[in-house]
Amino acid sequence: MTQAIRKRQDDDEFEAVAMPFVDSLYNTALRMARNAEDAEDLVQEAYLKAYKYYDKFEPGTNFKAWLFKILKNTFINSYRKKQRTPPQSDFAEIEDAFENQVHDAAQTVKGPEQELLEGVLDEDVQRAIDELPDDYRMAIVLADLEGFSYKEIAQILEVPLGTVMSRLYRGRKLLEAAMLGYAREHGYLRSGQPARMRSRRSADQTVGSDSEKAGS
Amino acid sequence: MECREVREVVFLYTDNEMEDDLLVVFRSHVAGCPRCADRILRAQMFLRVVRQRSPRLPAPERLRSRILTSLPKRR
Repeated sequence: MTQAIRKRQDDDEFEAVAMPFVDSLYNTALRMARNAEDAEDLVQEAYLKAYKYYDKFEPGTNFKAWLFKILKNTFINSYRKKQRTPPQSDFAEIEDAFENQVHDAAQTVKGPEQELLEGVLDEDVQRAIDELPDDYRMAIVLADLEGFSYKEIAQILEVPLGTVMSRLYRGRKLLEAAMLGYAREHGYLRSGQPARMRSRRSADQTVGSDSEKAGS
Repeated sequence: MECREVREVVFLYTDNEMEDDLLVVFRSHVAGCPRCADRILRAQMFLRVVRQRSPRLPAPERLRSRILTSLPKRR
């Protein structure tokens, strides 16, 4: 068999095995890049790389995880450097802010916490995910939106299993706190919950809108 | 197992990633501890909300064609 024929077979095969993942890759890229234009560029670049290195893929291993690893590397190498929204440099500050929210949430929302979460809107969940630090966000997107196992996430992110577990644990805690924060901000309490009791403790942070709504 | 430990590994349970020996002690603690049972329910509900409130979008058609045309042509 000539090289040319084999090459063409490989090309057809690549298209057949790789294209079914375009929706998954696009949704994940949207969460990584946080805007549609960059997400499209990211996915296209990942496909080009996957095509180029397709002969390095070991048959019998997890192809989807392999594609996602390429997507992750593409994001880290080109996009993360370019775009800084919100600035990732101040990781400690972001974490502190979130940790405070966790603390606040624990203090101020006891019973109605579940009702609050049920009332969260799609856009609030997206915003809360988007604002997570990159490492946590990627772990959460892979686990909770794409349904990868811990082992697969470890392969994709190229980190030990224990790191996957701790990123998921911390990331989800931050996410929950942020979601609760948005829910309270928008006042998604069921009727019967006096709005003014919503957040006495966090008054310093969110006063304006809260006190206005409380009066209405 | 103590409540604090349950808190740390609750997601292993909800994600079906808990190893069998840990699962045994985890379950036996939770069976006698309503607070931890409640913790599990809350974790499951939180994860369900995250999934349900994250609508998936189809990749735009132009992206598919961009990818296919950008792959080096061979036909």
